[in-house]
Amino acid sequence: MELKRRSLLAAIGAGTAAAALSGCGTGSTAAGSADGPAEGEITLLTPIYENANGKTLLEKEILGGFRKKYPDVKVNVDYTTYAQLNEKITTGMAGGLLPDVLMMGVGWIPPFAAKKAIAPLPEKFATAHDYEKRVLEPSRYDGKLYALPVVLDTRIVVYRKDHFAEAGIKKTPANWAELRAVAKQLTKDGRIGFDPFSIDLRQCWETFLFANGGQLFSADGKKVLFTDNRGVEALQFFKDLIKDGSASYAKKTALGEPANVQTGKASMMMTSSALWEQVRLQNPELLKDDKLGAFVLANRKPAMLQGGTLVTQSASSKHPAAARALVQYLATPESILGAAKQRGSVPGLKDLNESGYVKENKFVDLSLQNMSAACSEGGTPAWMEIREKIKPTLEPAIVGDQSAKDAIAELGRLAEAAIGRM
Amino acid sequence: MATTELHKPGVARPPRPTAKRKPVTFGRIALYVTLSAVSLLMVVPFVWMVLTSLKTPVEIASQDAGLLPEHWDFSNYTEALKAAPFATYARNSFIIAISHTVLNLVIASMAGYSLARIRFRGSEVIFYLFIAALMIPTYTKVLPEFLIVRFMPLAGGNDLFGQGGSGWLDTWWALIVPGAVTPFAVFLFRQFYLDLPVELEEAARLDGLGEFRIYARIMTPQVKPAIITVALLTFESSWNNFLWPLLVTRTDSLRVIQVGLSVFRTENGPQWHFLMAGTTLATLPMVVLFLIGQRYFVQGFATAGLK
Repeated sequence: MELKRRSLLAAIGAGTAAAALSGCGTGSTAAGSADGPAEGEITLLTPIYENANGKTLLEKEILGGFRKKYPDVKVNVDYTTYAQLNEKITTGMAGGLLPDVLMMGVGWIPPFAAKKAIAPLPEKFATAHDYEKRVLEPSRYDGKLYALPVVLDTRIVVYRKDHFAEAGIKKTPANWAELRAVAKQLTKDGRIGFDPFSIDLRQCWETFLFANGGQLFSADGKKVLFTDNRGVEALQFFKDLIKDGSASYAKKTALGEPANVQTGKASMMMTSSALWEQVRLQNPELLKDDKLGAFVLANRKPAMLQGGTLVTQSASSKHPAAARALVQYLATPESILGAAKQRGSVPGLKDLNESGYVKENKFVDLSLQNMSAACSEGGTPAWMEIREKIKPTLEPAIVGDQSAKDAIAELGRLAEAAIGRM
Repeated sequence: MATTELHKPGVARPPRPTAKRKPVTFGRIALYVTLSAVSLLMVVPFVWMVLTSLKTPVEIASQDAGLLPEHWDFSNYTEALKAAPFATYARNSFIIAISHTVLNLVIASMAGYSLARIRFRGSEVIFYLFIAALMIPTYTKVLPEFLIVRFMPLAGGNDLFGQGGSGWLDTWWALIVPGAVTPFAVFLFRQFYLDLPVELEEAARLDGLGEFRIYARIMTPQVKPAIITVALLTFESSWNNFLWPLLVTRTDSLRVIQVGLSVFRTENGPQWHFLMAGTTLATLPMVVLFLIGQRYFVQGFATAGLK
């Protein structure tokens, strides 16, 4: 499946270039002015608001409110999945028919802003609400604001309080040495002490890289920085855990499968804030008995990967005023709170810190309290190509004999080549 | 004549020769045991899917849950059907799959017949081009096909040069035309037509039949396994297609069942109980079709390419 997906992305990349060269790309659509009244028929492309609840939330509640405020705007919703979002956007770009409003992931703004597929937003949008300081960073490219955050998805460590108590462990690990020792101590009777692999390997390694004080790219996105010792140590740590027997790649769980801390097969795991929602549905007794705790990974510094979904506006929209109005509306506290609740995600507005939802979901609360430790992936226009290569390049070091140093060097070469092509 | 006499009332029908039973040997028992075990293995995922579709989320996640649901939760089916307009999705999938099947059978059989039975300059080269087309991965064709559909002249507000509108995007044309004929079907039909005796064709010619009637009335009825095989494979791949309908449609009224099922595969974890219920319903038409056409289907594969 992944091979097919990579093949498609490669083909799409090549095709987009060809389309751009032949002049049949976005140029065929004349963009209008954003200064006029908000009116017309626009399309929203979204990878979130999935399932029946999500559709009702978006189409009835959120867009219901939007229709009242902007009665002359008709919004058509085009649902897709995150797995196919890039294909959907890229083919739309190649065909010169991008949806007017697009929702995309953290790290995606520089690639599409650099291609001039999305339009900058007025800077006043950045101060319209009380954003956590670094929440807007992934929304910017080249100093300009291109998107507004809808929901954040943080990566934290969740642990079993009952396992810790049984082993007499009183505090959560403050650095990797402690994490490794605790994981070893908790590994027994077929249970692993720490499961770093049940979330996406790319996001997991990035969290370890950031916690080790490393960075992915330079501020201008032109230099690869993860190839230093910090990146290698982050990957080597996984190998060390496997060597100790306190982590196992074979025991990783698939998306949606009960996580290893849920089933008691692991005492700690890397996960996203959305795990709370999954546990609430699948193992409510764990929350009732207060068996789950969470902490932010730390080594040289505490770090929490901040992913999420942003909303942005197509540069080629024929109804830019309507599109801009929708972008603004989707990022209001009411819309954000609804989306965060539905997905178990983190709302990135300080206005919502005291809301009942935040106080009830402990993982979200922890994430909001530690936003100063949040770091985002991406930062280069070549990100869409590089992100696809991280997992398959690092995996051989984890499951095979390749050294961490060689795997990181190989990934560095691939990333430099991708940046060189921009 | 003899047959008529044998069926006259009062005339005793001679006893039918009974099929000679093969002796039960150890090898035969081992064969049946192996086949039964393999069949069971093949069926297990389907059984698991159906049983999972009847469990609650808590039970699906539970470590102690058995294969059978503790509480048979049939409401998963009704709830799943409420989650999206599945009747519309199923109708769309059906229209597209039937259209693809009919078009592929008609056009590919004609192409296969021409390549197998009609001598014309370049037929070998064309055949090799079809073979080459078999080797092109589907995913590498997605973007060129998308651009063809998008820039279709004089469609969806486009001018003669394909500019200004949206072409075939978000229309039935985009869903049906690009997948209408497959090189594999042409190849399969050619192989079957090659196997037919030349005497059949010559006799038809002596009787004064034209080329089209020879194709349609004499030769094509002889290649039923190929027809069934192509029909089943085309219907199956069309029914299960996900990426192309997702890329070329925007509105719910044109979405297909596989895209509909994706609403249960959320980024933060699939809703397994609904996903399994929806998948069970989406699988049923294919299971029924394969049960009906399985004999010809196997025959189609067993004899394809033999001369």
